[in-house]
Amino acid sequence: MANMNTSSFYRKISGYVLAVTLVAATTIILYFLRDTLDKTLVALLYMLSVGLITNLWGLGPGIIAALSSFLSLNYFFIIPFYTFTVHQPIDLVILMVFLIVSMVISQLVGSARLGMAKAKAREWDATQLYELSTILVGLHNELVICQVLADHIQTTFQGECIELEIGITQPQTLILPANSSTPDRLPELRLPIQAAHGPLGEIRLWRLTPVISSIEKRLLQTFASQGALVLERERLAQIESRTRILEESDKLKTAILSSDSHELRTPLATIKASISSLRSNEVNWDSNARTELIALIEDESDHLELVVGNLLDMSRLEAGALQPRRDWNILSEIVGEVLVRMRRQTSDHKIETDIPDDLPLVPVDYVQMIQVFTNLLSNSIKYSPPNSVIRIKAIEQDDMTLQVRISNQGPHVPKEDLERIFDKFYRITAADRVTGTGLGLSICKGIIEAHDGKIWAENQPGNFVFNFTLPFYLNGSPPPQLPIEMDQV
Amino acid sequence: MNAPPHILVIDDEPQILRALRTILTEKEFKVTTASRGEEGLTLAATSLPDLIILDLGLPDMDGVEVCVRLREWTECPIIVLSVRDSERDKVAALDKGADDYLTKPFGIEELLARVRVALRHSARKNGSPVNMVITGALQIDLSWHSVTLAGEEVKLSAHEYNLLAYLVSNRGRVLTHRSILTHVWGPEDADHTEYLRVYMRQLRKKLEEDPEHPHYLLTEPGVGYRFIEDE
Repeated sequence: MANMNTSSFYRKISGYVLAVTLVAATTIILYFLRDTLDKTLVALLYMLSVGLITNLWGLGPGIIAALSSFLSLNYFFIIPFYTFTVHQPIDLVILMVFLIVSMVISQLVGSARLGMAKAKAREWDATQLYELSTILVGLHNELVICQVLADHIQTTFQGECIELEIGITQPQTLILPANSSTPDRLPELRLPIQAAHGPLGEIRLWRLTPVISSIEKRLLQTFASQGALVLERERLAQIESRTRILEESDKLKTAILSSDSHELRTPLATIKASISSLRSNEVNWDSNARTELIALIEDESDHLELVVGNLLDMSRLEAGALQPRRDWNILSEIVGEVLVRMRRQTSDHKIETDIPDDLPLVPVDYVQMIQVFTNLLSNSIKYSPPNSVIRIKAIEQDDMTLQVRISNQGPHVPKEDLERIFDKFYRITAADRVTGTGLGLSICKGIIEAHDGKIWAENQPGNFVFNFTLPFYLNGSPPPQLPIEMDQV
Repeated sequence: MNAPPHILVIDDEPQILRALRTILTEKEFKVTTASRGEEGLTLAATSLPDLIILDLGLPDMDGVEVCVRLREWTECPIIVLSVRDSERDKVAALDKGADDYLTKPFGIEELLARVRVALRHSARKNGSPVNMVITGALQIDLSWHSVTLAGEEVKLSAHEYNLLAYLVSNRGRVLTHRSILTHVWGPEDADHTEYLRVYMRQLRKKLEEDPEHPHYLLTEPGVGYRFIEDE
């Protein structure tokens, strides 16, 4: 502290010394030219150096320069030389004018210089603040925001130590420089981070030298309120997104409740009716009716499983828990598996597959892709007439993208509904005419998008087509090529 | 006459216990049930069952953990029951020593088939190995390394043969990707599922009548593969 004060003291003193020196130098030069120069010109030249001095070293040295110039002018250049007496009244006027003008000049230049310094300091404040707010604007994580704030305070104030504490119920503290601990004494400056509805935390700054100035304190205050604004915004955003998720899942629950009477109770009713008639002795044990009832129970149980499965998948998708586990797969193996599983459901339709034998491996989650094909096929079966053809075709769009088309001979979907059929619970036909939860297609959409692909539907002459794309690349790597062994056992 | 095989069912769902006890008793198995993991472990140690059916979601401990604890001292076959979409748990249980799995809801024929396979496999482990498997038109001789389809020799590459041999010697049981890759390609290739996909397709093309709808070499989605014989 003492050492900082002396250095600024020296700086001040040196301004005065330099001022006097420059005036002396001017005097010496002018002294040698005294015979050739008019005394008014000499006065003007003195004034030039007074202006220069004030501009360079400030108001105090300027006034000293003005006074010493006044004396030198009087002593060396006004007749009689080497006395401070003045004989001619005109010389007295010159001297008085010189004194007044040079004082005014040094005042003006000095205050302009001070104003400039203040403006510069303000500009610096504004720049710091601008930089801080530009960085903070894009941030969303509370901890990152605090880190940036602390870093910025540290670079701006060059403190010995900075501690940032946020959170009132679960305080988290951040100390800079990293891995250091706070000094034993109380911080030199403590500032609360104050938001609209209460404190969010506190900034503590340890810096003995230079002493924290009121300007710096004000700047830090502005930093703190900037930080408070961003933290507040972040909290509000979190609350908002939580509310939105809650609203969404609330909508989902409502929709499930409204469709459950139909979707869940119909198969249950069928199962219950079939079983009770099997238990009663009304159905002959060897009759076809018995086989029929048992088949019905099994079909309805399968249907229930599908409905419950879709509801579960949907809630997982909502919770963001349907992350695909992608590894290299053969598309025809997946399609084959789906067709085996759906043998019974597809028995009334003709299924044609067209998947090139040399199609590269695709990076997909096997189980999720089974889900996609199952849902798209069961949708195709539901809406297309019996005995019609459902075609599954895989196309290598280019080196990067696989396209799959599943076309059926079902009716066209109005153009304005083509996108909406992938929305949750969206159905073109009245709910009680076609079974299903209205979730199948939105699950497909969720899965395909989680695979970085796209899904869409289109009307083609005589056909209705589901399309989806999948990238061939996994984390930037192309499908692996395997050396085919030629050796035989 | 042999005593009926003894099955221990560990599941916390009373309805499942009730159904399994009824059905398995009807099929002349001796059935013991436990509804908690610790209880199941104790019963397994005291009653020495021939087979254990184990649910993965138990109230007091993880089913995979039960599996690990059982494998510390017994080779008794374990069939894991799990709910849909828990491939990770299934694979974990299988890699920790379970023999097979079934997804709830399951058909009872399915369960009985798995029980038969598991019992047969454990009987085989104790007796002399069978080196010849004939199913349909397919004949595989493990001691002569020869595979014939309808009497015609099938040419297989070394990896194809090793893959087939591993599946066949564990016929009826599901083998996880990791276990097949480790066994056929070696531990350093345990994550290269793509090898498995490609070689399995080649095998199917050579052995199956319709490679897209395989009859013998079945896929267990998200888990692994299984070789089944005609009954």
